[in-house]
Amino acid sequence: MSEGTVTESVHTQLDRELLRQVYRSMILSRTLESKLSSLYKAGKVVGGVYLGLGQEAVSASLGTLLKRGHDIFSPLIRDQAGRIAFEEDLLDATRTHLGSVKGPMRGRDGNVHRGRPREGMPAMISHLGTGLSFVAGMLLARRLRGQLAGVVGGISIGDGATSTGSFHEGLNMAAVEKLPLVVVVTDNQFAYSTPRERQFACKSLVDRAIGYGVTGHEIDGTDLVGCVKGMAEAVGNARKGGGAQLVVARLLRLCGHGEHDDASYVPAELRESSLGRDCLEVGKEQLLSAGMVTTAELEQWQLEAAEKVQTAVAIAQKESGPDPYQADWRSTSTPGMQA
Amino acid sequence: MPQVPIIMPQLGESIAEARIIRLNVAVGDTVTVDQEVIEVETNKATMGVTTLCGGVVTELRAKEGIEYPVGTLLGFLEASEEEVARTGAPVHGDAPKPTPEKNDEENLHFQLSDQSYEEPKEIEPSVKGLPVPAGTKGANYISPRMRARMDDLGLRGADISAIAGSGAGGRVTVNDLESFLEYVETWPSSKASPMRLAVADAMRRSWTRPLASVGLPVPLDKLLDFRSRQNPKPGLTLYVLRAFALALSEEPATAGFLIGEKVFHPRALDIGVAVQVEDGVMVPVLREVDKKSVSELTQSYAELVQKARERRLPPEEAQGGIATVTNFGTFGLKWGTPIPLPNETLILGLAAGIKTPKWSDEVGAFVPVTETELCLTFDHRVVDGGGAGMLLQKIAQLLQNPEAL
Amino acid sequence: MSVTYIDAIHRAQQDLLREDETVFLYGQDIGAFGGAFKATKGLKVEHPERVLDAPISEDAMVGLAVGAAIEGMKPIIEMQFADFSSVAFNQLVNQAGTHFYRTGIPVPITVRMPCGGTPGSGPFHSQMVESLYGHYPGLVVATPATVSDAYHLLKQSVMLADPVIFCEHKFLYRWLKSAAIDEEALPLGKARIVRSGKHATVVTYSAMVHEAVRAADELSKEGWEIEVVDLRTIKPMDTDCIIGSVARTGRLLALGESFPWGGVTAEVVSRVVAEGFHLLDAPPLRLNAKDSPIPYHPDLWAAHRPTPESITQKLRELLSL
Repeated sequence: MSEGTVTESVHTQLDRELLRQVYRSMILSRTLESKLSSLYKAGKVVGGVYLGLGQEAVSASLGTLLKRGHDIFSPLIRDQAGRIAFEEDLLDATRTHLGSVKGPMRGRDGNVHRGRPREGMPAMISHLGTGLSFVAGMLLARRLRGQLAGVVGGISIGDGATSTGSFHEGLNMAAVEKLPLVVVVTDNQFAYSTPRERQFACKSLVDRAIGYGVTGHEIDGTDLVGCVKGMAEAVGNARKGGGAQLVVARLLRLCGHGEHDDASYVPAELRESSLGRDCLEVGKEQLLSAGMVTTAELEQWQLEAAEKVQTAVAIAQKESGPDPYQADWRSTSTPGMQA
Repeated sequence: MPQVPIIMPQLGESIAEARIIRLNVAVGDTVTVDQEVIEVETNKATMGVTTLCGGVVTELRAKEGIEYPVGTLLGFLEASEEEVARTGAPVHGDAPKPTPEKNDEENLHFQLSDQSYEEPKEIEPSVKGLPVPAGTKGANYISPRMRARMDDLGLRGADISAIAGSGAGGRVTVNDLESFLEYVETWPSSKASPMRLAVADAMRRSWTRPLASVGLPVPLDKLLDFRSRQNPKPGLTLYVLRAFALALSEEPATAGFLIGEKVFHPRALDIGVAVQVEDGVMVPVLREVDKKSVSELTQSYAELVQKARERRLPPEEAQGGIATVTNFGTFGLKWGTPIPLPNETLILGLAAGIKTPKWSDEVGAFVPVTETELCLTFDHRVVDGGGAGMLLQKIAQLLQNPEAL
Repeated sequence: MSVTYIDAIHRAQQDLLREDETVFLYGQDIGAFGGAFKATKGLKVEHPERVLDAPISEDAMVGLAVGAAIEGMKPIIEMQFADFSSVAFNQLVNQAGTHFYRTGIPVPITVRMPCGGTPGSGPFHSQMVESLYGHYPGLVVATPATVSDAYHLLKQSVMLADPVIFCEHKFLYRWLKSAAIDEEALPLGKARIVRSGKHATVVTYSAMVHEAVRAADELSKEGWEIEVVDLRTIKPMDTDCIIGSVARTGRLLALGESFPWGGVTAEVVSRVVAEGFHLLDAPPLRLNAKDSPIPYHPDLWAAHRPTPESITQKLRELLSL
């Protein structure tokens, strides 16, 4: 798809196909994550499981608006939906979670850290906020090579990451360099168990945009149509040369930090507030009422998702893990540099 | 059909066990993949244990109300080959998960290892004995390089004793050694024979012990007179050897050897005799000398000495001795301080018999007496001067009654 | 017309920018201003798009370099002072250092670290960082001591597919001169015997090479012949060269300008003891800076780091053992 066409159509009228595409990724993501959770509860997952329940609309909107092979998408731990939307192979997810040596990280790094950096999808490290400058660097490289036109780099982070020095340095640098970096902050109310008022003192994180000299966007992360609209505007701005964008999506994480965490610290009133809505439910209503999808189609998508997930799990589950006796322990690509 | 296990999952990063609240299925029930078949409760939450594939429940080991550690086999499903292939579920016989120990920390971000190492309550000192001041400047030592160079050249500590060290505390450095070797190269030299090297090695090893020597003059006239009437005539050394054995039979521990905190006593009084051969010494061993008379020993003694002189002595006949007799008197020597073999504590030397004037109260004049000096060298760690003296006195006494030998 | 150490670094960057379009420079004040030490003087005029002033954001500078390297560029990051790389520590060891192992994709970045003391620089503009980064997997650490090495090692570092921590010594910048840059370059990873001897070996790197040579000069008046090994890169460390030298002399002094706890000198001693114990005729000794922050006053500073006098003294001790 050539750049510009998607966003232009969204500006005039919300693109039916775009919304359907986003929602389909959300369904697949939810199906995969529920399977991953189940595998975790069956004792089959290597390491932890971190889910993006409730964050699918934000994540998939960003992933769908970025084009693989052209743009850059830097996911964080709750971006299964965005990864699917950015056309990450489901096998990458199942292989890393089930410890297959055939996964992109070959057993050397874990589940949500997976990436394919040469294909525009960096492999995150655990130190939050570090990805901003990383993606900025990828974009700067494109500029220096004369290949930046129409390219956007999207990065997903949480509210907790905005407290780091890395976030500040990275966003400031991207703004100074006028790079098309779209920073999507999913303000899901809690960083692990710490509520947002212990994380920052400003009313909304979007207020920071003006301080960095970037364009701010605020969206309701539970509202599918709102997410796609807001994200399309941000991505479109960046694509047109509008520089860095800060998108702040508010919602509630509908799960624990990881599957080991039952999120008992989340107050009931928050769960029952509009922030606690499930974006998949909201999106379903929106699409059905707008006549953009039929119940039969949704059922069909659901079935297809289950089938895809089951296949990816079955393949990965049969593959062996890395063999420590065959490991080369090479940490540099040039031989002889570890003497 | 394949049996697919249902196991107690790791329900939290630090949960070690969980209680079964309810079994949602019974044996014989058909279940589908991802169905919550067992409800469990941890100290954090209530969750469902899911199935890895669809099938029929064939066995339920878990009981309601009981806590099971993570990884426990709770039951089995029987599933079709197709279902196992479709889901990739593991079948029975796959390696079981290790069962972690109980861990009280809750809700940790990462699993902590419970494979703990308990620090010993008391630290045992690794070095016994007096504290040794270590690393003081001027410490005398052989450096690793010096040691390696000496090994390379086949040198021992004794070989470098001639070198004045220039290192701290007079230590001999590698440079000192190399300079010395260059210096001695200018001297005439010849290659030492294997026999010479063997003796050198034995003497060097023996010399690592605190050796002391004592001597006692012994008149030989009675012995010589008795011996002159024997046919064949046994060697003088054989009488001394026999007397030595008889004396030791009363105090065998005198010939024992010290290893660590134990004295090892002789198993038998097998005694060697030093035989000078070309460029060295051989020591054939006579067995159980305390149990055989001189006349019984004469033949085998003569044969052994002959074999040694001809260097035809089989190794086993030069082994197992507990002491040695050496007759250096044959070289006309009046006394000596012989060195015992490294694996023996005692060596008895016999000096030359010399006719000397001795005052005789009976005759009221000086009379000629043939006298020798018995010289005993001993490991002072095992024997003291008193013990050595008593041993010599006993031998001297026995030699005055040659017919009893 | 002689060439200084800083000239060599300048020339290497100039040549790299001219020869390879994927090379770019990113650092504080390196543009029109030419850098705090003028290592990039005039380069912005020649390559306005590839010589960029950075905000004071060491973390983001390195993060940006790694991202750009993934996209096929060969960034050179200038830390204004090596001391400030502590702010970028995370990106260096966790982002750059782990990337190849984790993903199989190499990260060809070079981070120039103006390190070591100059009189009056104080605790935060004088530190040595090579031991710190040498500890982490995935990083190569170059420590040039000569004008030619400053040039060739920098060029090799930039062309290397892996991240290089390039420790250039500020004291040598204008102090060290050479008639010309050697045509031939030694391979990265090989040490060099700067001075041959037979009585003791000094293994060192960076500015301490020159201090060691001065100490060797002093001792030569008394007939001692001291061999001096310049490691050139502390990671990889040319163990064969070190062992070979100790085989000739039997005595080792490991000399470094960084703090004394652990580090390069300890690594050198450890390797020699493990692989060449039989070669040692005396206990191996180490000499480092003092275990205190680097002092500001020139007199204190001069006594904090090893000097020709303290090295001579240490060598006398080594020779007397």
